[in-house]
Amino acid sequence: MRETEKKLLEMKNTSELMLDLAYSALLYYNRDIAEEVVELEEWIDFLYEEIQKAALTRYRETGNFDRALVFMKVADAIERIADAALDIADVVLRDIEIHPVLRQSIQESDTIMLKRPVHKGSFLDGKTLGQVRLASETGMWVVAIKRGREWMYGPDENVCLMGGDMIFTRGPEDSIDTLEKWTSAKPS
Amino acid sequence: MRRKRRKIVKNIEEEHEEIKYEDTSVRELLTLMKDYSELITDLAYAAILYDNMDLAEEVGHLEAEMDKMMYLIRLKSMLSARTLEDAERLSGLLQVASASEKISDAAKDMVGILNMGVEVRPLMPHILSEADEKIHALKVYDDSDIVGRSIGELRIESFTGVRIIAIRRRNRWIYGPHGHHGLETGDIVIVSGVDAGFEELKEVASGRRTWDQVVS
Repeated sequence: MRETEKKLLEMKNTSELMLDLAYSALLYYNRDIAEEVVELEEWIDFLYEEIQKAALTRYRETGNFDRALVFMKVADAIERIADAALDIADVVLRDIEIHPVLRQSIQESDTIMLKRPVHKGSFLDGKTLGQVRLASETGMWVVAIKRGREWMYGPDENVCLMGGDMIFTRGPEDSIDTLEKWTSAKPS
Repeated sequence: MRRKRRKIVKNIEEEHEEIKYEDTSVRELLTLMKDYSELITDLAYAAILYDNMDLAEEVGHLEAEMDKMMYLIRLKSMLSARTLEDAERLSGLLQVASASEKISDAAKDMVGILNMGVEVRPLMPHILSEADEKIHALKVYDDSDIVGRSIGELRIESFTGVRIIAIRRRNRWIYGPHGHHGLETGDIVIVSGVDAGFEELKEVASGRRTWDQVVS
């Protein structure tokens, strides 16, 4: 894949992570997560500009106007999705009290957000996300991990979970049971 | 619960003449808008990936619904504000609703590239096939044990990490199918999610594995 394609892909993945983080920030009224959304938006803006430059350069070299336009249109749409995520996070950053209806509606939607502590000795303790295939086995996607004061956003499959971690996940409501089982200490 | 929500969409159309202002509706509208914003993005990427105009048209349709919902949620919120504190909290709520609407606008503009020649967008499918969450299509075969069972009963997303965004059944489409929708022989199912889960679902849909083997 060429550089520009890679950047577009990075934009898509980042915009999706931003939305998950924005809803988590809102639901748990978490400023740290909301601020990460702001940081990611800056990253999106950078990528968008790089894509615009590359598209224009390609146009100058090839004379193919439509092709440059396709890249810019898709990148523009993704940038607006990221911007929407920023709008959601902004509610937290502006210290607006969250309307109870807002929380209810997030948790009643098809995709809900769930925060869970990983207990010492639980099934997930000491395992990487890839090892347990968390997303495909439970339907839950980890969007952020809080370990002590450290945060990891959008962890990849090589990240190892540890007892004491707080994980922020996204998935269907009927996955809650499995996630609870996997994060709870095993009965001795 | 899903079935209830379908009714709400219908009500919105009917309500356009005579709008009812219950607080519960704001909540349901907001939930629906969040669901739509997620479905519409998946459908838009799927439309581009498969170069499919039907999917692109559904994106347009959902976007129009979203506009209606945005209008209603604004009305209802304004009517329910009694104090400054109310108004402040509701402004936050409307900001989230409008974010969903913004996403649907972006999705609609994205599928606009389908009106440009195929030769100018050859790399789009390639890009989409490398994303974290991928879109795939699979076919349901006669000897699969998911035939005749509903999506909700199977709890597909929970067991595989992929969600069904559309089903092509003979000559028609079911977009954003609900839990009560059953799967039938010959269905082409378009899903979004992680690769590993897709592979599992594909094996079951082709009858090579049973659903119980996946679940256990």
